[in-house]
Amino acid sequence: MTPVLQVANLRKSFGGITAVDGVSFEVREGEILGIIGPNGSGKSTLFNCVLGQLTPTEGEVRIDGKPTTGLRPCDLNRLGVSRTFQLLQVFPQLSVRDNLILAGQEHQGTMASRLFGAADAGLGEAAAQMIEFFRLSHVAAEPAGSLSYGQQKLLDAAMAFMAGPRLVLLDEPAGGVNLTMLANLRERLQAYHAERKATFVVIEHQMEFVMALCTRVLVLAEGRVIAEGLPQDIRKNPIVIEAYLGH
Amino acid sequence: MSRSGAVALAAAIIVALALPQFLKGYGIYLLSTWAVLTIAALGLNLTLGYAGQVSLAQGAFVGIGAYTAALLMQAGLPYPLAFVASALLCFAIGWGLGYPALRVQHHYLAFVTLAFNTLVFLVLRNEEWLTHGIYGISGIMRPVLLGWSTAKPLAFYYFCFGMLTVIAAALWWLIRSPWGRAFVALRENPIRALSLGLDTRRYTLMAFAIGSSLGGISGALYAPLVQFIEPNSFALALSFNLLLMVIVGGSGYFYGPFVGALIAVLLPEWLRITQGYYLIVYSAMIMLMMAFCPYGLFGMVERAIKALRLRRAPPAPAAVSALQTERPRP
Repeated sequence: MTPVLQVANLRKSFGGITAVDGVSFEVREGEILGIIGPNGSGKSTLFNCVLGQLTPTEGEVRIDGKPTTGLRPCDLNRLGVSRTFQLLQVFPQLSVRDNLILAGQEHQGTMASRLFGAADAGLGEAAAQMIEFFRLSHVAAEPAGSLSYGQQKLLDAAMAFMAGPRLVLLDEPAGGVNLTMLANLRERLQAYHAERKATFVVIEHQMEFVMALCTRVLVLAEGRVIAEGLPQDIRKNPIVIEAYLGH
Repeated sequence: MSRSGAVALAAAIIVALALPQFLKGYGIYLLSTWAVLTIAALGLNLTLGYAGQVSLAQGAFVGIGAYTAALLMQAGLPYPLAFVASALLCFAIGWGLGYPALRVQHHYLAFVTLAFNTLVFLVLRNEEWLTHGIYGISGIMRPVLLGWSTAKPLAFYYFCFGMLTVIAAALWWLIRSPWGRAFVALRENPIRALSLGLDTRRYTLMAFAIGSSLGGISGALYAPLVQFIEPNSFALALSFNLLLMVIVGGSGYFYGPFVGALIAVLLPEWLRITQGYYLIVYSAMIMLMMAFCPYGLFGMVERAIKALRLRRAPPAPAAVSALQTERPRP
């Protein structure tokens, strides 16, 4: 079966600095791949190259076997690739419900039908279900900016799932979230994965979160893949331990 | 819309319909100017307030609309066709002006649009073969629409107010549609919007084009209102004045331009009692207003209502959980 995501020999340089240096990996359908690595190892640059925010210097990205290198993020999203960002990226003045409708509306109809059709683009019910799934019902009508940080993280993740994507890339979903909310977020992601058989790629520093959520882990250091395997093997891998702790 | 909002809107419409019956010519002219400039300010509010694209060129679009309507009417075209042509031409030029917005933002974009306004002014002043230069175009007739003459000030005011109502209703629909949500997303977080599948390029161009076409419609009404147009009317001062209307009323608030335009049109008239000092008083009042309510009058009212509700109601669940959840330091 063709992998959902294939990254082949990806390289990204900024002047004389090579942030990602010949990274190759694949993500199969239904997998949750964790990407870990010390600060500055090139995780976010890799994400941004895969998702069209940055143009790679070399290499190729394929989604479902089709080359997507250089496609704009909005075109990638329409191919079924969704993402969250390292820093919170909700629309603070829109309500929780409107944030979710916005996250799915461009997948409904045409520009003309979105202008003359229903105000909720036919997504009112889907948004209500997503709100319930992520346990945000009590704040559905509130502006997203008035929510707590943890609730905004949940909303951010919910928005990534709103259009029913094939592949979701989550950039540090646990960053800045307290332990209670973190368990809630992990449990919701696992539930979504079990229910929809979605494919995830997760960048995360929070090791417990990665080990509990991911089915496979890729380790980056200085822009290169230094290890790949099951979470329990990665935890004991001496190369990984050295990369994190230094010499 | 809330019940109190609907009552306030109905009362405002009744006042706008009844008031001119009690006014003389100049008062009706001022009200007509308000209605015409509100349309241009609504357009700028869409571009700037909702979509977050800074434009200092709205006055130029009023000028393009006014000259297009006047020249086409002088060429023998009926007013409705000249009106539509003004809107379409400004839509097309606005779409073109949107391209720089794909590359530059904020004050850089402001300078691009400011340069465009100056360019339009120079064309209107220097291209005498087309625009009659500094002599302007006079004798612009007010239209007869389906047998109804709008030649008299009161009739023309009702025509302008009718147009304002139709445009405001259409804009209300637009803002509540998925397009409106996309415009707000463009203003608040274009990178996230792009990652959610929004073609931010197309929405940016649309925001400019629709906002500019409303400037053109405003111009097509302005020409028969004043019946004489000349380039100085559409210099940078008009763009700044329209920006003032949007900011004072409340940028990104639907009713902001209505109130902002009312203040910008009427305040200088009321301040005439101060004689030579009126511009000083006017400027000082605007500075004070901006210092103490930078979100405009509607922003101030919204904040006051929120503060009142918070004082009356127990803490909302969102506020409670905000206290319980740690927040990373900025």
